[in-house]
Amino acid sequence: MRFKIIRIFFALIFISLGLTIFNFCLLRSSVYRTLSKRNCIRLMPQEGSRGRILDRRGEVIAGNKLCYDLLIMAQDKEDIDRTLDAVSRVLGKSPAQLRASLRTNFIAAFAPVVIARDIERRQAIALEEMKSEFDNIIVQPRPVRLYLSDNLACHLLGYLNEIDHWRLTKLEEYGYQTKDVVGFGGVEEKYDYYMRPEKGGFQIEVDHRGRFIRVLGFRPPVEGKDINLTIDLRIQKIVETHLRDRPGSVVIMDPSTGEIIAMASWPNFDPAVFLKQNNSLIGNLFNDPKAPLINRAISGVYPLGSVFKLVVATAALETSKINLTKTFFCPGFLRVGRREFKCWNNHGAQNLMAAITHSCDVFFYNTGLSTGPQALHDYALRFGFSKATGIDLPYESVGQVPSPMRRRLSRQGRWYDGDTANFSIGQGDLLVTPLQVARMTAVFANGGRLVRPYIVMSVQGRDISVSQRQSVPTKLKQWILDYVAKSMREVVRDPSGTGNVLSSAGVEVAGKTGTVQVPRGLSHGWFSGFFPYQHPKYVISVFLEHGGSGQASCQLARHIIEDMVKEGLL
Amino acid sequence: MSKYNLRILVIAVLISCIGILSIYSSNYRKEGQLLQDIYKRQIFWVALGLFLFFLVSNLNYRRLWDWTYFLYAFALLLLILVFGLGIIRLGAQRWLRFGWLNFQPSELAKLALVIYLARYFSKSSEEDISSGAHNLGIVRALFIPFAFIAVPAAFIVEQPDLGSAILVMLIFIAMLYLTGIKLRYIALLILAGCLLVPVLWSLLKDYQRDRILVFLNPNIDPLGAGYTVIQSKIAIGSGALFGKGWLSGTQSQLRFLPESHTDFIFATFAEEWGFFGSTVLIFLYYLLIRYGFSIAQGTSERFGKLLATGISVMLGIQICINIAMNMGLAPIVGIPLPLMSYGGSSVFITYIALGILVNINKTRTVF
Repeated sequence: MRFKIIRIFFALIFISLGLTIFNFCLLRSSVYRTLSKRNCIRLMPQEGSRGRILDRRGEVIAGNKLCYDLLIMAQDKEDIDRTLDAVSRVLGKSPAQLRASLRTNFIAAFAPVVIARDIERRQAIALEEMKSEFDNIIVQPRPVRLYLSDNLACHLLGYLNEIDHWRLTKLEEYGYQTKDVVGFGGVEEKYDYYMRPEKGGFQIEVDHRGRFIRVLGFRPPVEGKDINLTIDLRIQKIVETHLRDRPGSVVIMDPSTGEIIAMASWPNFDPAVFLKQNNSLIGNLFNDPKAPLINRAISGVYPLGSVFKLVVATAALETSKINLTKTFFCPGFLRVGRREFKCWNNHGAQNLMAAITHSCDVFFYNTGLSTGPQALHDYALRFGFSKATGIDLPYESVGQVPSPMRRRLSRQGRWYDGDTANFSIGQGDLLVTPLQVARMTAVFANGGRLVRPYIVMSVQGRDISVSQRQSVPTKLKQWILDYVAKSMREVVRDPSGTGNVLSSAGVEVAGKTGTVQVPRGLSHGWFSGFFPYQHPKYVISVFLEHGGSGQASCQLARHIIEDMVKEGLL
Repeated sequence: MSKYNLRILVIAVLISCIGILSIYSSNYRKEGQLLQDIYKRQIFWVALGLFLFFLVSNLNYRRLWDWTYFLYAFALLLLILVFGLGIIRLGAQRWLRFGWLNFQPSELAKLALVIYLARYFSKSSEEDISSGAHNLGIVRALFIPFAFIAVPAAFIVEQPDLGSAILVMLIFIAMLYLTGIKLRYIALLILAGCLLVPVLWSLLKDYQRDRILVFLNPNIDPLGAGYTVIQSKIAIGSGALFGKGWLSGTQSQLRFLPESHTDFIFATFAEEWGFFGSTVLIFLYYLLIRYGFSIAQGTSERFGKLLATGISVMLGIQICINIAMNMGLAPIVGIPLPLMSYGGSSVFITYIALGILVNINKTRTVF
């Protein structure tokens, strides 16, 4: 019985489906035929504005402005030719050019085609007036990125461009489509999902001439979410002013939380170039041998030089290979095997604090040799080298820390004592990013925690710092960290210290300089330190590519800190 | 009686061929080699599906009785796996990727649940021959099977795949009805479902709510889901008596119609083959379901009977909902049209289900 009912039930449903088909295909087919033939339904997309990028105090770094696009309804061939001729006179482009962009931008018959992007206001008004004569013209306002000052924080922001094939395949599941504008590099890429607006628009019915009849529906566009960076724009500006024209990078970080207060890299670029779709300028950026698109602070890897002595000193004290009174005599060189390793000066008898203050190489050759390369490697890893810092910016490099084991595994030959000597002063195969150096320095300033740096503080006003703040205890002995920190203070305070120029900066600075000899060109210069010494608020790491010496980096750090003091930003 | 076996096979292959033609037609003008070659993949799926069909049809369906809980656990495991991966990848996840094959576990879950219900209700009545299913108490008739259905259904909703979850519940209700339990239990179930609607509504994802609202009024979201309904109606309607001809459908080929080779393949087909083509197609589907029911009616063994009914109901509901959705008679819920829509999992499971059906018919004739 019930069986029969179900069978009849299904039969009835199939019959009703057939009847509906009958209704659609025969009774009402003429209506649908015309709708389909005329393509009478048009979609008029309306774009929302992308989330803004603000600094920690709410000052706008990248906002939005309105620009105007010229779109054309491409349904009637003759109409289009006439319209394009008229439009070309206003825009000052040849009709052939416009026809080419019509072809490349064509999506589907129901959607208007973009003929020219970002036209001038004057032209927009002129075209709007032509509408009475040419009904297939549409002038549409569209929000675009507005960068408030040239190149400011460009590496942190990243740039905007049309989505590429690789990203599209990865992001399609999240609702991304071809021709979407997405972020490349910086927070624009990392936080694209939050900042991207949701498209809305009108669906309208038009008559066979393409004239508007009625709105079938409207969906309002949804604006993207604003993002607050941990950057202090005032400090960022100071840093960028001083770094100008010198290849390298500066990182200023809060040692206790990992908030990036300022981060700059030179050479930089103008992200607005990508909005203007100026292909020759974009090509220049990509082909420039100086690599302006690279954020050197997180993507560049360099040898660390003498700054690494801080790690060596900690490792030697932790493993009790030296004590605080141990002295080595520096005659200006040390013979290791058959090779003579030079120091940059004759320092005479040096204990640990003096050796850090004067950056004595011979002391650290000896210390490194007695500590051993494996221990140096292990402690370097405890300080976060050879690992990504986990900052919320894309394209972070990890660098590398050498060790005898690694050498053997990669079949590059044997590890010699000479390698250990080189390793102890941060030369050789050791490669680090400036951000890793800042993080290492922070360990001495925050009581032994390895923080995870981050750059986004809140999304649409919602504070996310709780999930952003992550730190790992390094489990190093506090007295050792304090002692090394005190030595770093001596580097600046002692008149013969390598960082003495910073003593006049107006605040007590502690730090370490580094000079890295490179095979070709001038040496790289490092300075990494923190200030104020008693209650560290900032870690600063300055790196100058072929900057000459650590002195140059010290000078740069001094200028930055002086200006920060002058503007009362401490 | 074995005449049904050949007929089922012929009809299934026929519909699959129609499907491949429509997939080819809907994508051959689109840019991108991947989309243009999609019909080749469908041919491969169908070939593999036929292989599974022959394999299953030569395997005594009584073995499924033994494998029921294994199959159930396996389907549940896959659903949990999808759920877990969804959490890790921070997003919607309906697929499991096995190398080159994207498998949709909810498809397998439907079949596994049908087999489970068939076994559950055939067992209940065999233990106690004097009283059939109509004498079962509410706990054994309703609560226990419901618990077994609700767990996988919850995972399917979470994927989120509302359509498949609703489908599972409909199959459940239909099979309850057919096993002959008291009608007031079914009424109770439906009543409880209605009372739960406001609660479920608040649990739905935004876009799922949108889709249901759009079904009630397509014009509220003309750019999203509503757009699809309007375009699909235009596609079907503009086909008129004989259609626009193969490869000449403007709605699907000019990209007016989204998902033209998956959920909306019926509209693609109807536009090109018109009233004539669509009625033939609907009739073919009707025959398939009818044969399924006939096999069920002719089987006296209870497990086989319930299994055949369940499979027929499962296919029937999918077909009806999909076609109704194409014509704007049902909300857009993302249920594929069996045998026609592009997609490996759906093709495989449909052919396996048909294989079981054929085997039930074969085995019965031996008795």
